[in-house]
Amino acid sequence: MLFQQIAFYVLAAVAIGSALGVIFFRNAVYCMLSLILNLLSLAFFFLTLEALFVATIQVLIYAGAVMVLFLFVVTMLAPSSNDDVTGRDRLRWQWGAGIGMGVILAVALCYAAFTGRLAADVKASGAASLAKQVASAGNTQAFGLALFHGYSFPFEVTGVLLVIAVLGAVALGRRSGAKE
Amino acid sequence: MPLSAYLAVSAILFAIGATGVVIRRNPLVMFMSIELMLNAVNLSFIAFAHFLNSVEGWMFVFLVLTVAAAEVVVGLAIIVSIFRTRHNVDVDELNSLKG
Repeated sequence: MLFQQIAFYVLAAVAIGSALGVIFFRNAVYCMLSLILNLLSLAFFFLTLEALFVATIQVLIYAGAVMVLFLFVVTMLAPSSNDDVTGRDRLRWQWGAGIGMGVILAVALCYAAFTGRLAADVKASGAASLAKQVASAGNTQAFGLALFHGYSFPFEVTGVLLVIAVLGAVALGRRSGAKE
Repeated sequence: MPLSAYLAVSAILFAIGATGVVIRRNPLVMFMSIELMLNAVNLSFIAFAHFLNSVEGWMFVFLVLTVAAAEVVVGLAIIVSIFRTRHNVDVDELNSLKG
């Protein structure tokens, strides 16, 4: 129990610190690396919440594949996007307003999380169906059963969405002079 | 740890992401802030799945991951093509969709 609490506080500190790094670093590459740290800390959060398979795909797909794509584009566009300094000084009141809005949003959401009925009711329900499945079959098997039995239609739609995204990326990435 | 603690971390991450979208002018960093918000919601989904003993939260996270991947692919392609025509990626300067 104590170990779990220490892990929670350390992971929360890393996640929030790296999230602040994402929005406050000037260099976009540093923002990117900070975001990868954030995603990895969230994967460890998933591990502490016993979602092993989701943590694995978080590391493999998100922190691996998607972020590598991101990093390619950031390093490609970085020299021009580095000079954020004038933009920051030009509209200083906007920074204040934005950060104030963020603080208000965080406080309101935390208030809702600690006092709302939802969080209080969670303990009362809980059919222990997932725990039973995981105990009898294993974590990944429970995930696969749910995905391919209960959620097979959303899964198919996801495939269609990915095909559309790939086609869109190809259409947008083509040089505009290629047709002429 | 109670559920509220995880929800609070998720709420703080979401607020940081929303702040980043508002205050940054580099579209790449705005994109990263959107990723932050998506992942914050993922954390609360996983926390609910754990505390409700239900597998639905994992499903939602799986679908959110896929949608985020598709969104990143298309969005980065748009940013790259804007950069090709304008040689400048500052959202304040981008006020027309025509190339």
